[in-house]
Amino acid sequence: MNRVSSPALPSPGVETLLWRAVVVFRVAALAYVAVLILAAYRTYQHPAGGLAALAAMAGWTALMTVANSTEAGRRWPVVVADLAVCLTLTISSLWVQTHGQSHGGSTTLTTTWTAAPMLGAAIVGGPWGGAAAAAALGAGAVVTRQAVTADTVGSIVLLFLAGTVSGYAAQLAIRGEQRLAAATRLEAATRERERLARGIHDGVLQVLALVQRRGTEIGGGAAELARLAGEQEVALRGLITAPPAALAQPPAGRLARPAPTRGAGPAPPAGDAVGGGGRDAGDHRHDARRPARGGAVRRTNGAAAALDLRALLAPERSSHVSVSAPATPVPLAPDRARELAAAVRAALDNVVRHAGADARAWVFVEDLGAEVVVSVRDDGPGIPAGRLDAAAAEGRLGVASSMRGRVRDLGGTMTVNSAPGEGTEVEMRVPRGAEEAAWSG
Amino acid sequence: MVRVMVVDDHPIWREGVARDLGEAGHSVVATAADGDAAVRIAAAARPEVVLMDLQLPRRSGVDATGAILAADPSARVLVLSASGEDDDVLAAVKAGATGYLVKSASRDELVAAVERTARGDAVFSPGLAGLVLGEFRRIAAGPDDSAPPLTEREVEVLRMVAKGLTARQVAERLVLSHRTVQNHVQNTLRKLQLHNRVELVRYAIEQGLDES
Repeated sequence: MNRVSSPALPSPGVETLLWRAVVVFRVAALAYVAVLILAAYRTYQHPAGGLAALAAMAGWTALMTVANSTEAGRRWPVVVADLAVCLTLTISSLWVQTHGQSHGGSTTLTTTWTAAPMLGAAIVGGPWGGAAAAAALGAGAVVTRQAVTADTVGSIVLLFLAGTVSGYAAQLAIRGEQRLAAATRLEAATRERERLARGIHDGVLQVLALVQRRGTEIGGGAAELARLAGEQEVALRGLITAPPAALAQPPAGRLARPAPTRGAGPAPPAGDAVGGGGRDAGDHRHDARRPARGGAVRRTNGAAAALDLRALLAPERSSHVSVSAPATPVPLAPDRARELAAAVRAALDNVVRHAGADARAWVFVEDLGAEVVVSVRDDGPGIPAGRLDAAAAEGRLGVASSMRGRVRDLGGTMTVNSAPGEGTEVEMRVPRGAEEAAWSG
Repeated sequence: MVRVMVVDDHPIWREGVARDLGEAGHSVVATAADGDAAVRIAAAARPEVVLMDLQLPRRSGVDATGAILAADPSARVLVLSASGEDDDVLAAVKAGATGYLVKSASRDELVAAVERTARGDAVFSPGLAGLVLGEFRRIAAGPDDSAPPLTEREVEVLRMVAKGLTARQVAERLVLSHRTVQNHVQNTLRKLQLHNRVELVRYAIEQGLDES
């Protein structure tokens, strides 16, 4: 005999458990209704009708027990059909029971059994779904009683209360479960990333760094290999230290950018929110083998809107480009951070264009609290005095003027310092807005 | 000849660095593959310069740096680490390391850095200058007043180093001697390490560790 071991079933979610509660309620309510009808059906205007209604309720209970245990049987159409059947059976009291009974002398045929679809509506539609179903049931009760008595009003108020409260509770439970699931996924992804990061650090990165060093020493064709190895090392390191993709928002400026001039390899996701500046005195006591964080710290207290400028600029690191910054995040409003990063990239592209692909460049980020200063320096031939002014006068400053425009749009200033043989230095100073000032420091 | 110890968890890397230093006439007196071994072996081998990777098994490079310097204050630690480990580099410098070189540095840069470290000079990369400057600004913005502030000249020098200027270029621009520039850079490190010790003591007192 072939025994197939069944895979371990995941534990049922909150929604399944809530639907099971509806089924239990329906069966218990059916038992109660059965006792009431069996005790009283002889006094009905149509005793056979009473028994038929009870049979119908039992059949419907069985049907819904099966339906509610499937995914398809937990949707609006089923809930609405359920509600319709319950209302019909309730209103049938008018015909089955005597005039006195149906007009307040006795309970309706269905009593509390009709509340089951309301619980279903509460699970599917939250407090509003519960309230809507309660309204329908209330209307059914008024039709059956053919009057609005104090009793009916009391029942309807209770129905509304039960419908909205259970809807609200169901919604809370389901959302809580979704958040927990998301957090668990994120944790698993982070763990896996850390495991990979350790493995890659121990092997691939070391070898790439070594290839870079040896290749540079050998020179010639090997130097090109060395450069590629170095760039891949930086890119790979960025990739394993970046936040999980689910959290990272790709910076718009980067996506719109044409192919990088320096061939910097795959660009790691760079956008991430900013961690708080709280570093305590125990700062120096680091955990062994804690993976480098690369600015991927997420602040939890609602300031997730801030972007860390360092993280946006980190992908620019290469064998030719050095990026210096503080060890703590440099937070700016996301659009402003992206604009500033785009201006820095334009400056780096400019270095390649004017100083050649072999020129080195240094990006330096300073956080002065009230303003953020970014300078981009290169070791190229520099620009002769007066040529910048002349170019500006002729209106062909191109990239430089577009950079200046970007920085001016941010409320900042840009200065260019250069002399022949001294390289060129572009300094951008951008003030922080009132909102941003709260993030810094 | 400088007596060097190489601490790195990757054998290919250790051998490569040891060979480079050997060819340049220096003596690699010991190697270690993790932080624990580094502290033990350094006590016995007494290297002048420890080349320290930061991501190590068992005991972090930052921790090992502090322990080695506590046992032998005459030793010098040069951090040789990959880029992108900013927090750890800063922590290692606070713990007493006097230099930082990225792993992608050339052989000549490495040999020169080891020699300068042995002479007692600080070895600053642009990245380290940015980190140190940022750290002083962070301290200045906080409520803590125990940090000796940087002088204007020191800030000026660090900014230039962070922008990639060599010590010689900085000296030319500021019309100072090369030695004076070196002293400015070294002073910033000294102040940072001093502040770190004050912080440590304060932390210990707050935690009640001084009573035990």
